[in-house]
Amino acid sequence: MIFMKKIQLFFLFTFYIGNYFAQVETLSAKEKAFKDSIAQINEAANASAEGKEAYNRGINLFGEKKLIDAVKEFEKAIASDPKFLAAYYNKGVAENELEAYLASASTFNKLISIDSTYTKAYFQRARAFQGLKEFDSAEKNYEKALKFDPNNVKIIYNYGVLRFMQQDYKDAIAKFTRCLQLEPNSAFYLNDRGSCYRMLGDLPKAILEYEEATKRNGNLAFIYNNIGTTKKKMKDFPGAMLAFNKAINVDPNFYMAYVNRGATYFAQAKYTEAEKDFLQAKQVNEKNAAVYANLASILILKKEFQKALENADVAIALDKYYGVAYLNRGIAKEMLRDMKGACEDWQKARDLGVDLGKSYYSTNCNN
Amino acid sequence: MKKSVLTILCVTWVGFLTLAQNVEFKSSNFKADKEGFKKAEAALELGDSYFEKANRLLFGVKDFKGNFIYAKKQYDVAQNFNPSNALLNFKIGVCLFNSANPENAIPYFNKAKELDPNCDPFLYYYFGRLAQLDGKYDDALSFYVKFTTDNKKAAEFTKFIDQRKKECENAKKLTAAPLRVWVDNVAILNSEKDDIAPSISVDGGDMLFSSRKKNENTPDSIGEYDFDIYASTLEKGNWSSPKRLTGDINTKVDDVVNTISYDGTTLLMHRSVNNQSDIFESKLVGANWSTPESMNTNISNPKYNDRFACYNHTGYKIYFIRDNEEAENGFQAVYSGMESKLRRDYATTTFLDVLNSKFSEGPMYITIKGDVLYIASQGHGSMGGYDIFVSKFVQGQWTAPVNMGYPINTPYDDFFYSPTVNGKFAYITSNRPGGKGGYDIYKVTYWGPDKTPLVATEDFLISSIMQPVNDNAIESKVDVTRKFLTVFKGNTIDLLNGQPVAATIDITDNASGKITETVNTNSATGKFLITLPSGKNYGITVKATNYLFHSENFDLPDGGEDNIVSKTIQLKNVAVGNTITLTNIFFDLGKATLRMESNAELDRLVKLMNDAPKLKIEISGHTDNTGSAAMNENLSQQRASAVVAYLITKGIDTSRLTAKGYGSKKPIATNDTESGRQQNRRTEFKITSN
Repeated sequence: MIFMKKIQLFFLFTFYIGNYFAQVETLSAKEKAFKDSIAQINEAANASAEGKEAYNRGINLFGEKKLIDAVKEFEKAIASDPKFLAAYYNKGVAENELEAYLASASTFNKLISIDSTYTKAYFQRARAFQGLKEFDSAEKNYEKALKFDPNNVKIIYNYGVLRFMQQDYKDAIAKFTRCLQLEPNSAFYLNDRGSCYRMLGDLPKAILEYEEATKRNGNLAFIYNNIGTTKKKMKDFPGAMLAFNKAINVDPNFYMAYVNRGATYFAQAKYTEAEKDFLQAKQVNEKNAAVYANLASILILKKEFQKALENADVAIALDKYYGVAYLNRGIAKEMLRDMKGACEDWQKARDLGVDLGKSYYSTNCNN
Repeated sequence: MKKSVLTILCVTWVGFLTLAQNVEFKSSNFKADKEGFKKAEAALELGDSYFEKANRLLFGVKDFKGNFIYAKKQYDVAQNFNPSNALLNFKIGVCLFNSANPENAIPYFNKAKELDPNCDPFLYYYFGRLAQLDGKYDDALSFYVKFTTDNKKAAEFTKFIDQRKKECENAKKLTAAPLRVWVDNVAILNSEKDDIAPSISVDGGDMLFSSRKKNENTPDSIGEYDFDIYASTLEKGNWSSPKRLTGDINTKVDDVVNTISYDGTTLLMHRSVNNQSDIFESKLVGANWSTPESMNTNISNPKYNDRFACYNHTGYKIYFIRDNEEAENGFQAVYSGMESKLRRDYATTTFLDVLNSKFSEGPMYITIKGDVLYIASQGHGSMGGYDIFVSKFVQGQWTAPVNMGYPINTPYDDFFYSPTVNGKFAYITSNRPGGKGGYDIYKVTYWGPDKTPLVATEDFLISSIMQPVNDNAIESKVDVTRKFLTVFKGNTIDLLNGQPVAATIDITDNASGKITETVNTNSATGKFLITLPSGKNYGITVKATNYLFHSENFDLPDGGEDNIVSKTIQLKNVAVGNTITLTNIFFDLGKATLRMESNAELDRLVKLMNDAPKLKIEISGHTDNTGSAAMNENLSQQRASAVVAYLITKGIDTSRLTAKGYGSKKPIATNDTESGRQQNRRTEFKITSN
């Protein structure tokens, strides 16, 4: 059967080729040159079409959150047409989404070098620089983006967040206030402005802002959580507990509220209740470092040092920059007679900004 | 941990209570071995003389030296002869209890008890001591009460019983609140023999200590070697294997290191010769310690036993421990100061009353700042044996010593406290259970103040963490069109003679019905060359003067690969009888309904008729031979009529038109192939008049 099919195909092929050549005469030199030039045009047209198809596929993949694949398709589009601006833009946005900020900044650099009036690119490039913690560059790009689009609330907001990260809380307040002028009903901007006051040490003002935010949107657990942690800072433990309870009421899966309620119990030496909350937080989110670091604290108090060590290990595996976990692991190690390990952990905790780590290291780790 | 002393006591009591029988040392009990009895009796007598002396010293709060050991050596002879004497077992137990390994006394006290629980009133006192060592303080207290109650002479020992009771109470309090320390046996420094008196340098990197481990000297009459001084160095956190100091610092008598000076260049030590201990000083010369020199007579006085010396922080005073025959309260802490370091004019000693108790005081150490003094004592608030106490120098006076606490201190002997400068570590000597034997050196590691673990709180201070404001909208899709071009070339020639004909070619996009290109062929060669977008269906009409117009339909394939199509167009003269096939006329399948795509061709025919007003034509329809002839004729007639009707609607006079259906009667190709049948299915017009 297969042989017969091959024979048929062979005859079809020779028939087709015969017909084709029957129509083609010998071409003169000029005709051949003309034909070749047309062939080149066709080739270019084909490449352009393939680039556009890759670009469209990239958009589909972006929509499916397959960002790495989307970037590859946009790259194909750019390769077929190095001036395909939309492909650059989409590639850069996808890279931002991937938090590949270095690549993203490079993409937007290229796009802007081709077309400096591509205004949206400045905002996206600011995002990339923000991700790279190159705050000065981010700032310049936000400024540029705002020149083109001064009332774009997204730009203003992200600029405000940048200011927050730069610890310029007063300017961040100004930015969030401008956002509120443009979108007066936003609970988010109020929350963030509240956080600025909190960072400035004006805790009562922060509480007022947070509470106003909950009036605008009572379904945001994280804002109740912020009220709770702020009240805990103020040693208003009952107030903090109330806020955490509200957060849990709004979202029973908001693990952070369990962590913080547990920490509030801990601060009141109610260790059994604290442990219960930490375990509940673990049930909701078993990938959170704070949960394990805090469980380690409880286990240290229960003198279950090996278990404390194991929990601290998990916390550090989840977040290798989690200073509290190092501090607690150091305590567990000391009690397990691993003084060298304890000193290394306290040193690490100290390096990660945990003051107690510095104190433990200096008083225990020098002969 | 050693097995519970009390448990061993109880079990053995129950097991042997009814089995054992006390065998007195009477010649009548050993008639069969009178010689052996005599030897045993003599040994017993000699042993008793040591035992009584040792006991006098013990309860006189004095150094009983080797008397218990000598007594035991004799008792062992008697015990080998008669192991079933209750009193002898008790006495051996006492000898052993007052050694560095008191737990060795347990089986002897047990046996004494089982043979005769009333063999000696002090049996319960020692059971109390054993219970105390075992941490069974309430049981110990009961034994002491029983001893006091049952023993008529107990009042003579009130000082000791009261102290033991206080020790139990202290121990209960101290063990209930243990210190945050670890106390670890430093195995590498220790041996089965006594290893004592660790003295560390200020930087904590070097240690000297004394050990009774086997050395090059001859052991004494009971097989014990003298104390020699050894050195060890801290290397990467671990002590090196100790090395015996060379030179004259070690002799054939006991050489016990007391303290290294803060600058590490001198040391104080004591030597015991013929039960007389004196304090010596040695200097570090290069890498070796010099021959020790006895201190000034105010410090090393032949009337007294002087030992456990330490420097004070200024170096002008030496604190040490002294006793004498008359002293009632054992070794006492004293100091002697000098006015000139050059003259080394140490003055007469001063008793440190606040540091001295009714029992012996032991080794002392003063910190480099001079504000804290550590002293071992069997008195004060001890929990049993020597404990280490701390005293502070406040307003020119040492404060009352305070017990350092458990587990630095235990009911066993704990002394020779030698701390590092930062106070994080210290070294002590203890005969507590778990050691290698005798006294061992232990390392104390302070945990420091209670370490509070931290708990973390977490929050999303910035909303964008919860609700990202990223503006991740991207640009939209684009249309993808593949516009390929095909080269369309060819020539126009006369059908009959093949000569080139100059003609005009209109190319129509049949989908839109619009003429997309008009090209004039070369008048000399009839050639033409144009490009057309690929992937479309085109109609071409060719007009030339005196020639019937030519029309045909063709597809240009999609894609850019085959980008050339060549065609030779044959034109017909407009002569009566000529027949032209209208190739771009399309009908619905099996019907006579003209499709829209036919309009262009029909309109060209309309134009021809208008251009040549005299022209009369016959429109003929043709089919292939598929189906019945009647049906084919009918369909072809209807189709020809449809074309005529169209032309009429376009203003062509009916008289110029005829319609004729030929069915399959006039094939132009074979009906045996699909290609042939397709050619046969056609619409033609024939010029009937011109």
